[in-house]
Amino acid sequence: MPDISSAALNQGEALSIDHLSISFGGLKAVDDLSFTVNEKEIFGLIGPNGAGKTTVFNCVTQFYKPNSGSVWFRDQKGEVINLVGRPVHEIIKHGLVRTFQNVEVIKELSLLENVMIGAHTNFKASVFEQAFKLPRARREEKEFRKKAEDVLKFLEIDDRKDMLAGGQPYGVLKKVELARTLISNPSLIILDEPAAGLNDSETGGLADIIRNIRDEYNCTILLVEHDMRLVMGVCDRICAISFGKFLACDSPEGIHQNKLVQEAYLGEEEDEI
Amino acid sequence: MNGLNNKSPSLLKEGGALALSVYKNTYLRFIAFGAVLALLPVLQSAGLMKASTLSYLGNVLIYAVVALGLNLLLGYSGLISLGTAGFMGFGSYLAAIFTENLQLSFWVALLVAVAVPTLFGVAIGFVSLRIEGIYLAIATLCVSEILLKTFEQVEEITGGMQGKKANYPVIFGSKLDRSGTYLLLVIALILTMMLTYNLVNGQMGRAMHAMRGSEVAAQAMGVNLLKYRLISFALATAYAGFAGALYVFFIKYTYPTVWNINLSLYVLAAVVIGGMRSIYGTVVGAFLVWAVPDLVLKNLPVIGKINGLPYIFNGVLIILVIMFFPEGLAGIPTRIKLFIKRIKEKNAAKGGAQSA
Ligand SMILES: Nc1ncnc2c1ncn2[C@@H]1O[C@H](COP(=O)(O)OP(=O)(O)OP(=O)(O)O)[C@@H](O)[C@H]1O
Ligand SMILES: [Mg+2]
Repeated sequence: MPDISSAALNQGEALSIDHLSISFGGLKAVDDLSFTVNEKEIFGLIGPNGAGKTTVFNCVTQFYKPNSGSVWFRDQKGEVINLVGRPVHEIIKHGLVRTFQNVEVIKELSLLENVMIGAHTNFKASVFEQAFKLPRARREEKEFRKKAEDVLKFLEIDDRKDMLAGGQPYGVLKKVELARTLISNPSLIILDEPAAGLNDSETGGLADIIRNIRDEYNCTILLVEHDMRLVMGVCDRICAISFGKFLACDSPEGIHQNKLVQEAYLGEEEDEI
Repeated sequence: MNGLNNKSPSLLKEGGALALSVYKNTYLRFIAFGAVLALLPVLQSAGLMKASTLSYLGNVLIYAVVALGLNLLLGYSGLISLGTAGFMGFGSYLAAIFTENLQLSFWVALLVAVAVPTLFGVAIGFVSLRIEGIYLAIATLCVSEILLKTFEQVEEITGGMQGKKANYPVIFGSKLDRSGTYLLLVIALILTMMLTYNLVNGQMGRAMHAMRGSEVAAQAMGVNLLKYRLISFALATAYAGFAGALYVFFIKYTYPTVWNINLSLYVLAAVVIGGMRSIYGTVVGAFLVWAVPDLVLKNLPVIGKINGLPYIFNGVLIILVIMFFPEGLAGIPTRIKLFIKRIKEKNAAKGGAQSA
């Protein structure tokens, strides 16, 4: 890797998307996009439907391999690394973890077990040790069960911890996904439409939850959200994109007044912005 | 009143409490289940059971082991293998060759019968699973056929179509007899059930659940799909090799036709019928597939005379289970509980309405 890495992120910056592009067939889903997220910031990524927000997240977490550009990230050791090209299952080990636009939980597992999946990479016991329940496997199981319980308590759904995820209300499943990211002690959490499918009171509570997560777990939060009240209320800064291209990056008020952003949303959600 | 009761606890109560504590502890429950299985030969020596019945039951135990392995793969990880029979046959020949031809100990033979098919499986998995999960089914089907042809053709070692003889195992210097070997099968099954239980309820099991339930979530949480698919398949193959060795030590004979695709499909049937992701369900499935047609149906009038009865029985059973009990027979207790709960709720609602 070239040694421009230390210069790629300044002090206090957590993540930098650097001239990122990806196209599907002829469609440029993300087009030369750059923006930087500061440490301990709640950062919003907005844009009309199909603007390429989820695709950006997929490029950051390596579900998609971008055609060009870099994703600089300060890992848990404080080193600046380029995430592009790394195996998708290794991303969480660097301290970056995400949720999905359509909740992805395991129906056949309890809420607690679902959360424990988030601690997968923290387990050190081998398959052999697990099969024979040797001390290390036993200890780790206990440790992360406790941790999962704590996270569920933090999100106030610990009363359901032993219920199966299948059949739980959508709002609960969204919290399970959140809990699953928290158990791994991430330094950056990426949330893809955390409020989608929630009712008004749940969405209202979500703003507090997101702030609490940042403060309690001491991490940076990058989120995509269509609910403008939530975005404007909770985000420190916002980046707006349209057709994969950068429009503006500013404070919520700045974004609100930005002409380019208003145009992009015209006819889309003009009542919301 | 309570104090009085505590001072003179009835034997029945103590027994009940003991039974309850056994029931509540997962491992004691496995052991109790094993004890019941182990006591079955007593029925035979008391003349209450035919000698041939014990063979069928032994078979059920062996096939339950291999079905538990396939359940790890199919039920938990959501992958399909059609080569179960080939790997099991491989294990049986290896165990026979190592004890009969090479005169090595039971333990060495067992180790080889587990390790070699597993390594073989890992190699096949490594090639096919890199592409897509579904390629495993195709690759295992081919490899199983190749193994079968090998069992037939390498006559000097395998005895060709004539098959290969083996003996009851010699363990720690003493040669087991038929019921001794049956006991060995019981211990092997119970151990397999316990290890499987531990595996599926730990990090490994959750990773397998995640792979099946949501590949993207699994990957985002750090599950290396290739690694865990390989581990699942390696485990399924190890169980098959182990069951193959148990087979040849109990039946004392192995020959090619046993290890054809039909057997692989039967194992699949046992898992689906008994219940994916259920340990006891798998054992019940094995019992239904391998014992019921021969022990029960054959003795029935008219039906018992039908040719190919086991095929028809298993086919019908699979269709019924898939139509009415998609979670397999293991899902029935949960359904009954739910049903009772609903009736209770209904009654409670009625009562509430009346009093209001
Ligand atoms: N795997 C893919 N293959 C082909 N096209 C894709 C793929 N993923 C995304 N796209 C396309 O890229 C564009 C951006 O999609 P993306 O899902 O990133 O939008 P989004 O901003 O998240 O929209 P929404 O607000 O609806 O979630 C869309 O036109 C979409 O059809
Ligand atoms: Mg999206």
